[in-house]
Amino acid sequence: MFTTAVGHYPKIGGKAPNLRTALNRLDLGRITPDDLHRIEDENTVEVLADEARAGLDLVTDGQVRWEDGQTHFTRRLKGFSINGLTRYFNTNTYYRQPVAEGPVAWEGPIALQDYQFAVAHSSKPVKAVITGPYTLARLCVNQAYPDLKSLALALAEALNQEALALQKAGAPLIQFDEPAILKYKEDFPVFLEAARRVTRGLTVKTAVSTWFYDISGLYPQFLQAPFQVIGLDFVSSKANLELLKEFPSDKELGFGLLDGRNTYVEPVEQIVEALRRIKRVVPLDRIHLSPSCGLEYLPRERAYQKLVRLVEGARKAQEVLA
Amino acid sequence: MTKGLLTTSVGSFPKPDYLVKARNKAARGEMAPQELQGLERKATEQWIRVQEELGIDILVDGEMYRGDMVAYFAEHWEGFGESGLVRAYGNRYYHKPVVTGPVRRSTPTTVEWWRYAQSLTSRPVKGMLTGPYTICDWSFDEHYGDREAFVMALAKAVHDEAKDLEAAGCQYIQIDEPAICTRAEEVEMASRALGIVTKGLKAYTVTHTAEYTQTYGEMASVFNQLVHLPVDNLDLEMANSNYFILELFRRRGLPGDKAISAGVLDVHTHRIESVDRVKAGIRQLLEVIPPERLWIKPDCGLKTRLEEEAIAKLKVMVQAVREVKEELGIE
Repeated sequence: MFTTAVGHYPKIGGKAPNLRTALNRLDLGRITPDDLHRIEDENTVEVLADEARAGLDLVTDGQVRWEDGQTHFTRRLKGFSINGLTRYFNTNTYYRQPVAEGPVAWEGPIALQDYQFAVAHSSKPVKAVITGPYTLARLCVNQAYPDLKSLALALAEALNQEALALQKAGAPLIQFDEPAILKYKEDFPVFLEAARRVTRGLTVKTAVSTWFYDISGLYPQFLQAPFQVIGLDFVSSKANLELLKEFPSDKELGFGLLDGRNTYVEPVEQIVEALRRIKRVVPLDRIHLSPSCGLEYLPRERAYQKLVRLVEGARKAQEVLA
Repeated sequence: MTKGLLTTSVGSFPKPDYLVKARNKAARGEMAPQELQGLERKATEQWIRVQEELGIDILVDGEMYRGDMVAYFAEHWEGFGESGLVRAYGNRYYHKPVVTGPVRRSTPTTVEWWRYAQSLTSRPVKGMLTGPYTICDWSFDEHYGDREAFVMALAKAVHDEAKDLEAAGCQYIQIDEPAICTRAEEVEMASRALGIVTKGLKAYTVTHTAEYTQTYGEMASVFNQLVHLPVDNLDLEMANSNYFILELFRRRGLPGDKAISAGVLDVHTHRIESVDRVKAGIRQLLEVIPPERLWIKPDCGLKTRLEEEAIAKLKVMVQAVREVKEELGIE
């Protein structure tokens, strides 16, 4: 078993220069974009240090530079403009909705440079994260393609280039975030085809990550998707644990166990008990233990405590359940 | 003559510069609470005068003494610990309350402020509360471990506050539930909680609900539940979504016991609407909702606008209502 983060981490609240203040100062013309990038770098280094200090086995860069998972990629792909605010699933957070206006194309690396920066500043292995083509298509306004499927497939072609670049850079694992598929289950055929296309030519280990919704109605066919690691949220709905009666021996499970949306820090015993239960279906050595989603919904200090607790729980479980 | 088209506001108004500065000073401990309160009262009176001069029918106190609509109640009620700073979008952050024990309202929270605002005017002033579902949805829960238990405990506290407002003489009580459509599967629970809040109240009740991020499909799926919420008046944003929700009223009708407060001003833009544009909106509304069951107001609270923008927008709204009333012979 190893422990990992899902994706984002609170951008402010540490010792590095405050990113919120820096963005305000950039707006007012008091600092330059270069100053901002330096501050983003310092915050990224701090997040990587938090993750290492907590004891995670596999980390992300905390997505300090991402405004959100949608605009971070679409702003850097050809064919998109950015519209007004809209709610992100059932959270009280909002993102600016991308609009597909013309043919989508990959014009150059989007996440590669940040990935390389993280690797150079991390004492732990770093995974690369890409918002999946289906979820991006679903959360956009589509004014360019005749239907969702053709937009999702165009995005899959574009993001496949990104994944290949990350593979070439040596990423040990590439994670595709696809939370939308569990909300809009009727789109499963589109998701599956986009997943096949976005992973084409990849030999690196890949993961699909989901959150907020359960897999009822899509299990076990979800396993047809060409990812080695299947990441699910076991907090938002109890259904996932009930549904996972069987799990194939060639897949690994992303076990999202600590609530990434609540400040309550779960006790170690609760983690051990959940692992005791899942162990009957998935051996511990094929478990990626993580929070239920990215941790930016929490204040920084609490996000860090969640990671510490995650590692404590994993260690205790290994001791007790071995 | 037919009566109708009462004008009102959703709740918040922009805070004058002197008050923004004073609040920052007070937060740093550089200003005594009494001094801050004096300025909050001054600003409240200014907004009461503005509304009177414009000729608005049902006034609000403008919430000069509140920061966030959820944190304000959390700060006054037992059971809430220190809130944490989280990001809402872009570079915008807010303090999200944390419930760490049973929620209890030991003393009235808003009654003194309502009493003060009402003492300044002969027109009715609405009492303004945040609904139980929204307080739950916008807080962290370290105590209940169950959303329904948390919501129902909050419902009791909000009900007690509403009863105290009513006892003080408040005739109109608004319970804001902007989060109510966040999870379609929980609208029923939110509605039950609102029923606990309004149970036994003789005051006229209003709830502000839908948010501008709802799509037609999302709205359609919860529409029937929304129009049956246990309040007298349903307050909806309409201008910023081009009145698309009216199509649902056209198709499904409006329950006979319900009035609508319709938003005719977009609060998210600096642009001041023209009188003609607002009149066109009101006429569209009147095709579906009879005037005696239609109140006119901005989409949402105006606190994020500049003072002069807020006043200019309200002025346009009142003028538009006046002209439509004249043209249609509504009293």
